[in-house]
Amino acid sequence: MSLFDLLRFSLENLRRTKLRTLLTTLGVIIGIGALVSMVSFGAGLQRNVTETFAANDLFTTLRVFPVKMKIEEALSGNLAGAMDGMQQKTRALDDSALALIAAMPEVAIVFPENTFPVRVRFLGRETNTTLRCLPAAMGAYKPYDKMGWGAFFTSDSAHEVILSYYTLGQLHLSLDPAEKDSAETRRTHRHIPVDSLIGAEIEVITSVFDLGQALGLSSNGQAPFSERVTRLRIAGIRPKPHAFSSPQTEGGILAPMVTGKKIPRFVFTSMWNMLSRRNQATEGYDVLYVRLKKLSDLGPVRKRLQALNFSVFALADQFDEIRRGFLMIDMALGAVGAIALIVASLGIINTMVMSILERTREIGVMKAVGASGRQIQSIFFFEAGVIGVLGGCLGVALGWLVSRLANWIANIWMARQGGAGAEIDFFYLPIWLIVGALLFSLLVSLLAGWYPAARASRINPVEALRHD
Amino acid sequence: MAVLIEAIDLYKQYRKGETAVAALAGVTFAVKAGEFISLVGRSGSGKSTLLNIIGGLDSATSGQIKVRGCDLTAMDRESLALHRRNVVGMIFQSFNLIPSRTAVENVELPMVFAGASRAQRRRRAEELLDLMGLALRKHHRPAELSGGEAQRVAIARALANRPAILLADEPTGNLDSRTAVEILDLLLQLNQERRLTILMVTHDEPAAARLSHRMLHMLDGEIVQQQELRRTT
Ligand SMILES: Nc1ncnc2c1ncn2[C@@H]1O[C@H](COP(=O)(O)OP(=O)(O)OP(=O)(O)O)[C@@H](O)[C@H]1O
Ligand SMILES: [Mg+2]
Repeated sequence: MSLFDLLRFSLENLRRTKLRTLLTTLGVIIGIGALVSMVSFGAGLQRNVTETFAANDLFTTLRVFPVKMKIEEALSGNLAGAMDGMQQKTRALDDSALALIAAMPEVAIVFPENTFPVRVRFLGRETNTTLRCLPAAMGAYKPYDKMGWGAFFTSDSAHEVILSYYTLGQLHLSLDPAEKDSAETRRTHRHIPVDSLIGAEIEVITSVFDLGQALGLSSNGQAPFSERVTRLRIAGIRPKPHAFSSPQTEGGILAPMVTGKKIPRFVFTSMWNMLSRRNQATEGYDVLYVRLKKLSDLGPVRKRLQALNFSVFALADQFDEIRRGFLMIDMALGAVGAIALIVASLGIINTMVMSILERTREIGVMKAVGASGRQIQSIFFFEAGVIGVLGGCLGVALGWLVSRLANWIANIWMARQGGAGAEIDFFYLPIWLIVGALLFSLLVSLLAGWYPAARASRINPVEALRHD
Repeated sequence: MAVLIEAIDLYKQYRKGETAVAALAGVTFAVKAGEFISLVGRSGSGKSTLLNIIGGLDSATSGQIKVRGCDLTAMDRESLALHRRNVVGMIFQSFNLIPSRTAVENVELPMVFAGASRAQRRRRAEELLDLMGLALRKHHRPAELSGGEAQRVAIARALANRPAILLADEPTGNLDSRTAVEILDLLLQLNQERRLTILMVTHDEPAAARLSHRMLHMLDGEIVQQQELRRTT
């Protein structure tokens, strides 16, 4: 019996019981549809985060700390233990260290981390944000190589500032044309043309520690702080952020390295910070950011830096952690789809057993004219396979349709919520998922068809011929 | 002439709870190639059981049944399928055509399992139906055929893979007497012209006497009498 004959036989048989075949296949379609939409949601989530990582070059970014901090102990609250580690400090993260790292051939750029809280005032509106100092050379690297509007810093000492979408939002300013915004945004935000923003001056307000007031030399009863205002020109605005990015990574404002260093401030992040703060140039920086040229250099450079007694933290490590998390999500989503498919496979078994009962006499006749048990088994196996392939193909189509629909609704919903982000795709339907779903559907249906087919092959022809 | 079928002390027992029913109780006989044998006997005497065992549909409890020298009792399921497919053809009282398939598709069925090509089996099926006088009924379904026509389709199907033996279990049991005569004449013709060996179960002893070379009388699972007949042709 040729494969073509088997296929023809099973198609004929399935056509004879159209409604039942349709309902059974519908079960598989829904099962595969659920599986595909669920897993493609998981895959989409993972892809979006991976792309955010890649877009910001986070895979090739290292953070270098001056000491081998016992992070576990610090996290578990054992500050003494963590400090104990600090006492082993053998190398300061100073300018010579910076030059040493910068000289490494694998390193693209290195700069000290310098971030502090500020208040900004613009057009009479104020908001709290953080200011991050970056070298002008960062303009050549992701993600700063792409500006939304305007340009990156002209030099490390330019009196310039770069704003982000979030900061503008906090200032109740909107760059979008009014008609694109929600009614809510239209009421609360002021629309401002980009042209009038670039080149405008913005006030950066910082607090400084006033020693005189602290010592009570002036007795106006105020807190020992006073404010300093630095005026910076708006050089550019960062692009509309990806919807998965957070204000922590995409928010805040940027200032050139040297300019930022000169902004008077009192950093008051912690008591420890206040007490231990020393002259950075001689005592060293808290953190250096190292950007590598190639991903493959990450391991060797990390080893080298560790050998120099620096503590190194790679964001790629964190990504591995995230990926493990995604695996769990994928598995949970896949399980939901798999349950739907198991239910569908019970439907296949039920349909096939019914069909064998109905066709007992026919099976007897086929055996009497020379069908072997194996051929009978193949006929029913093929029927299950056809249901699987049909259900698989239509199921993938259904899964895709559902994911498009859900994506469309989600984006509309996000726009209503006044999300500043660009439209995003929550779902991802890669080839491996399509092929995998089709194979899985075929596998499940063949597995479901196995018992009924084996049962059909064992039917006693004499009894079957007496059957009506 | 060569011995085609040889049964030696064949037993078949059916267990019905505690009691065992002996459908065959020591059957021994031989059939030569080209013979036309009739099996007669009361209802329940084991005729169908014997035919099913020779056809490879059923298996004996003990004894031997050899067809062309091959012992069916020693065969596995796969070999028995080959035996049913190629060595014997069977027809039944109730025709046993597949209702959803047309006449020509029913005749093609044994050739499908034998792996014949579509064109090949279609050609042979049409030839056989022409031979049975059913040229105009090829694409009718069994429900659209008369009893006689249905039995002719069944005969055509039994002959599809050119078997050596035709086993007929009361082939005229469901037919009126005139149609029955037509079918019996057809069987006689096949036996005479094609030297097809035929074993036929029947309750119509006069007809059996007219057609067959030998008549075996069965009673309670045994062949109690072998009657040699002097067939006129
Ligand atoms: N599957 C079975 N289980 C139990 N007993 C059976 C079975 N098949 C047949 N028998 C018994 O075996 C005996 C022989 O049956 P068989 O069908 O061979 O008779 P038969 O000669 O063909 O009768 P009829 O002329 O009515 O067709 C009967 O007593 C019958 O009841
Ligand atoms: Mg009988």
